[in-house]
Amino acid sequence: MLLDQPRLTSMLLDTSRLWLENAQVLSEIDSRFGDGDHGVTISKIARLIASSAESWKAESLKAFITDLGSAIMEIGGGSAGPLYGTMIGGLAEALTDEKEIDAPLLKKMLTASLAEMCSITKARVGDKTMMDALIPAVEAATAAGDEVELVLAAAASGAAGGAEVTRSQISRFGRARSYGEQTIGTQDAGALSTALFFQGLAGA
Amino acid sequence: MKMKKFINNPENLTMELLEGLTAANRDLVSLWPGRLVVNNKLAKARRVTIVTQGGAGHEPALSGFVGEGMVDVSVVGDIFAAPGPQSCMDAIKLADKGQGVLYVVLNHAGDMLTGNLTMKKVAQEGLHVIKVITQEDVANAPREQADDRRGLVGCIPVYKVAGAAAAEGKSLEEVAAIAQRFADNMATLAVAVRGATHPSTGSMLADLGENEMEIGMGQHGEGGGGRGPMKSADETAAIMVNALLKDLSIQNGEKIMLILNGTGATTLMELFIIYRACEKLLRDKNIEIVANYVGELLTVQEQAGFQMFMARMDDELLRLWNSPCNTPYFKR
Repeated sequence: MLLDQPRLTSMLLDTSRLWLENAQVLSEIDSRFGDGDHGVTISKIARLIASSAESWKAESLKAFITDLGSAIMEIGGGSAGPLYGTMIGGLAEALTDEKEIDAPLLKKMLTASLAEMCSITKARVGDKTMMDALIPAVEAATAAGDEVELVLAAAASGAAGGAEVTRSQISRFGRARSYGEQTIGTQDAGALSTALFFQGLAGA
Repeated sequence: MKMKKFINNPENLTMELLEGLTAANRDLVSLWPGRLVVNNKLAKARRVTIVTQGGAGHEPALSGFVGEGMVDVSVVGDIFAAPGPQSCMDAIKLADKGQGVLYVVLNHAGDMLTGNLTMKKVAQEGLHVIKVITQEDVANAPREQADDRRGLVGCIPVYKVAGAAAAEGKSLEEVAAIAQRFADNMATLAVAVRGATHPSTGSMLADLGENEMEIGMGQHGEGGGGRGPMKSADETAAIMVNALLKDLSIQNGEKIMLILNGTGATTLMELFIIYRACEKLLRDKNIEIVANYVGELLTVQEQAGFQMFMARMDDELLRLWNSPCNTPYFKR
């Protein structure tokens, strides 16, 4: 399979739907050590993704993804906007004028996205943030076979595994950081939303 | 307990408060698209200009300090949430009068992200901008780990000294060096006795017991400090003054700035009682308060408590602090 505009549109709509379905859960988790609004922000991003995907006309893949990232950054509501804007916009850094994405290119896009994220946050695996889902997602994806489906499935399973591990970690970033050991036992809301993002893309 | 606040639709909180702030101070500031609060005299400025960013809900901070001699453009996010990098970039472009822009960012996760993303855009467009980070909360990390220290009320005297330096016609490098020198020599400790409610969600921002206080509460009830039974004004003042003196390694004979910033529900009466105790403690140590402020600069809704801010002063910083400024909530 190759990812073209119609296929990407449908993947983005799936992701958006999955985020909206889980918004309450995300807010509930976030309310324990955060502002309790992660689900609200994720819903805003999800609706923006859906409306952008539905109105995507002649823009190139690179232009569409870049613009989507920039729009997400301005969504407001805390760090999630700049973070997801960077993560999604970063995917386009590996693109030029392609009309379709194959597995090697998809791996490059994920690697580029991770590089952008690493340049704006110092959080890495073990800090109990969305990076705990993103880093294993990209590692698994780049190690997967050269089929788009395999890459997406590996990313989804890597992200889900990483998000699950955050349950046993201590928060080292953001508002939750101040709660230290109290955060053990609660999954990181950002890691969970990242896992849902990759799950949505993979259609799993 | 149900939230009791005079608000309308929570989604419109930030816009409505900015409309009110700018309407009430029409002679000084204007509200621009993208939630920018702009100094009315910016258009005529031929100097280094100052841009800052941050969430709403901390009034009068940050936008109440936009005006002559302090901040030129404040970029406002949602309640307690950073604005996006494009808004900050728009603000920097609007502010840049050819002499460069000082960009002041408080150390909170969202603000730092936006700050980094904005500086990427600044580099891409080749603009002349220096970013100064305020990170002075002594409660959540030692001085050696300044990157982990939160930015509290200290941003406001930073705006004041930097704004005054810019007004004197200093270069961006000089203004930034002064702001950084001041920031490197400042420290804040926050105490809370009762939490606040988040005005959009109605959720409690910290849950303190009936007879409990927390020293080191941070700005949004994040916690991280020590909880203990409620203490008297004099006892609280002594704990906090000593912690700040120790952090800054201030010696006998030095001169300092002392700010007591009420966080929303602590009375001026209490702040004056605390101030009196601080002054006596410092006098006994032969440390002179050469600059001060007692009142509300940066609040956390109806959180009861205050932030005690201390900075080591020199003649230049004192001159800059005392020079004229005219903003809605700070005038000299």
